[in-house]
Amino acid sequence: MAASMGIYFDQTRCTGCYTCVVACKDWYDIAAAAVNLMRVSCIERGTFPDLFAAYLASPCYHCAQPPCIAACPAAAITKRAADGIVVVDRDQCVGVDHCPHKCLKACPWNAPQFGPEPNAKMQKCELCLDRLASGRQPVCVDACPMFALDAGPLEALQARYGDGREAEGFKFRKRFNPSAIFKPKTE
Amino acid sequence: MAHLPSASTPPDDGVTIVNTGCCHDCGGRCVLKAHVKEGRIIRFESDTGPEPQIRACARGRAYRQRLYSPERLKYPLRRVGARGQGRFERIGWDEALDTVADQLKRVKTTYGNAAILFLPGAGNQGILHGPTAPGMMLQAFGGFTRYWGIPSYEGALFASMATYGTIRTGHSRDDLLNSKLIVMWGWNPANTVWDPETSLAVAKARENGARIVAVDPRHTDSVATFAHQWIPIRPGTDAAMLIAMAHVIIAEGLLDRAFIEKYTVGFDAYRDYVLGKSDGVAKTPGWAEPITKVPADVITGLARAYATQKPAALIAGWGPARTAMGEQYSRAANVLCAMTGNIGIPGGYAAGFMRAYSSRETGHLMKKDPGKQIDKSKGIPSANPVENGALPRPDTLYKLSGGTNATSARIHQGRIWDAILRGRAGGYPTDLKMAYIVASNCLNQYPNANRGAEALRSLEFVVVHEQFMTPTARFADIVLPVNTFMERSDIAPPWLGSPYYIYLNQAVAPLHDTKSDLEICRALAPRIDVPADFFNMNDEQILRLFASRRKDIADFDTMQRDGVLKIKLPEPIVAFREQVADPDHHPFPTLSGKIEIACDHLAEMENPRIPAVPQYLGHPEHFDTPLAQKYPLQLLTAHSKVRTHSTLERVPWLQAMEDHGAWIHPVDARARQIENGDAIDIFNDRGRVRTTARVTERIMPGVVNVCQGAWYTPDESGVDVGACANTLTRDEPSPGGAFPMNSALVQVARVSRQPQEDQ
Repeated sequence: MAASMGIYFDQTRCTGCYTCVVACKDWYDIAAAAVNLMRVSCIERGTFPDLFAAYLASPCYHCAQPPCIAACPAAAITKRAADGIVVVDRDQCVGVDHCPHKCLKACPWNAPQFGPEPNAKMQKCELCLDRLASGRQPVCVDACPMFALDAGPLEALQARYGDGREAEGFKFRKRFNPSAIFKPKTE
Repeated sequence: MAHLPSASTPPDDGVTIVNTGCCHDCGGRCVLKAHVKEGRIIRFESDTGPEPQIRACARGRAYRQRLYSPERLKYPLRRVGARGQGRFERIGWDEALDTVADQLKRVKTTYGNAAILFLPGAGNQGILHGPTAPGMMLQAFGGFTRYWGIPSYEGALFASMATYGTIRTGHSRDDLLNSKLIVMWGWNPANTVWDPETSLAVAKARENGARIVAVDPRHTDSVATFAHQWIPIRPGTDAAMLIAMAHVIIAEGLLDRAFIEKYTVGFDAYRDYVLGKSDGVAKTPGWAEPITKVPADVITGLARAYATQKPAALIAGWGPARTAMGEQYSRAANVLCAMTGNIGIPGGYAAGFMRAYSSRETGHLMKKDPGKQIDKSKGIPSANPVENGALPRPDTLYKLSGGTNATSARIHQGRIWDAILRGRAGGYPTDLKMAYIVASNCLNQYPNANRGAEALRSLEFVVVHEQFMTPTARFADIVLPVNTFMERSDIAPPWLGSPYYIYLNQAVAPLHDTKSDLEICRALAPRIDVPADFFNMNDEQILRLFASRRKDIADFDTMQRDGVLKIKLPEPIVAFREQVADPDHHPFPTLSGKIEIACDHLAEMENPRIPAVPQYLGHPEHFDTPLAQKYPLQLLTAHSKVRTHSTLERVPWLQAMEDHGAWIHPVDARARQIENGDAIDIFNDRGRVRTTARVTERIMPGVVNVCQGAWYTPDESGVDVGACANTLTRDEPSPGGAFPMNSALVQVARVSRQPQEDQ
């Protein structure tokens, strides 16, 4: 069977600089706000002066059993056999006027994204598959000033980084089996 | 369009990749590869080349939205409304330049060159474009009055010169791997960059087992990411904690006596101050606790750790020195490094100004001979005719060379507005009549913006070179539209001390009817009868000339082709390695040849506000003054991660990342019925800003943070609805020149539905 591509995130290194977010916006020429194929969220706990803060970078985690695919009424979302990358066929997507964001509601990590335009169709991180095809890493991976991101076959990521499947702000869902490896931040 | 030697095989049809970079004053200079299609940049990549990669941050990656912003200035403008009102009409270049030339000649003839105020800024940081050429032109025109003092670092610079006689006190970042303990004191490289590889180096040092302690009033991104321990400290009291740490180290015998004996002068005087022999007050951790709000046992613990876990790097950020008595904090940090012998060794750090690789002087290799200082007491030589021969200013380290701005012909940047308004009658060296402003949003970035607006209104003529209609440009009579570094070629030296250069190849033709600052000078010089020899060289000829003066640029063509020159160092840069290894042949570049814990040059000033040894000193707007009854909160004006000072202010991708707003602790918010997201006013006697409350545990109670750089936008009632931090800041520098940007007292109030009834 072909390799299933996944993403690695070293949460201990992420400073919340948003470079991955902006690099993705620039590469795909996506306007501010609205659609964010990569998102960075901040997790904060505690009261002064005993505080904890971490950041979580959220692209699509390209689940082994993607809930978005199960939720889509139009079969617009597929998981590629060759590499496991979850892609959307925007011609197939019926748009938000005809489907109440079912894929977005099904995804615990908000990977399906919709713009403000009428009958917006779903967009999502497809792991820069064109860049992968030409031997380059996804733009977020190549952009990160902290070298906190990596992408590759899940087995290779596990061999290199271990098998951390959870992080601050990220709960592993066994039935979806997201293709994500983490070095989580701990208090 | 210019010849593009960096063009490489395009990955898609019709796309050319131009090797260029980003060079604003953010703390980095980074690689950008522009993907150009049909004369337009369609996207960027950053460094994908050999290590160490110099990767751009979000600011650089967002550059297309700045370059192609609909708000770019497109053609020359002439003011038609009242000054500052922001009403302009389009004019042609000839008319604009003739007007500027006529005004320059008129002011020169009527008042003399000293009446011309030149305000260069850091909006562009290439070695060619920006204020370089206008400065040369105005110098050839007979000179001008300019400022001394840089807001970012003047306190740290003064302290570095007084203690070490140099600003080259830093180590290259790879040396952090040799540190057992790293103290990040008011230092937030995750947001302020401090050279592009710095945050990665700190992360690697932590992964390598270094313990990291952060001292900061805010739980910054750097604190959250790197620090094992966070010590929140009351703003403006850092010197007190450092002095109390010195007390612990002295009292417990944790000193490096051999180092003190061999490499320093004046330790006894400092010891007497610390122990209270000179003033009856022992500067114990118990003394410091109520001042700093840091528990005494925490101060003691850090002092012991720092003195015993060697080598330890005390990285003293510039923010705590941007306070009313800022140089005292920097001096106290430097002296602590010396007392513990953490200087000149791998893994140590000397604090100070912290330049490491100095491109300008081909760096750490240059030696100074303190015996060959010229006597400047009778007048200081200068290439600027207005300054040439002026006597040294009081309270300057004029006997030292490098890094000091000693001439009395200059005006402290923080006092520019006052100098415009009061001139000679106010004790300033001249009466100022016109301002020539290049790459500077000075109205926004100098302290006390409302007074700045008053001052700019009072001038006879203001010309501004700009890319956007900034708050400063709104006060111009003539605005000359300037292009960006994507539209011209330049070289960017590293920001502070990393061994590399960026070559910025022009990626696209200049947009609209814009010119470079250099092109403007080419057209203006003949109009003011300035010899145009220099300006008639083309850009690349000048860049080759500049590069030829730097020993570390051996191969211009390769640098130009690659867009970057990475210099391999045989070993990490360690400041003062030679001075410590071989002191007989390598004295410190001070007057004594040693590290000056007590500094005779300071003692000669006989100014109790600038003592020979570092001291904790208060000031009229400190937390413990009567003014704090009226304005009980201390204002911080930190750097935003989505702007570079006031540059990149209106870039939608960056604006979407983080709102401008004020950090306030829940305790302070609750006391004022403020909830997260509420509109609030922050005010003092200097002004009032309106912004959004960000109620967060990540700032200590009693402190409010408004990131500097948001654009000053007074409404009809004078409320700055842009929430520029400098609407609130003090414009009274310290004797050493520190800018008190982090020493303002303020009050905060929720904006009610009827704001006028709120008062």
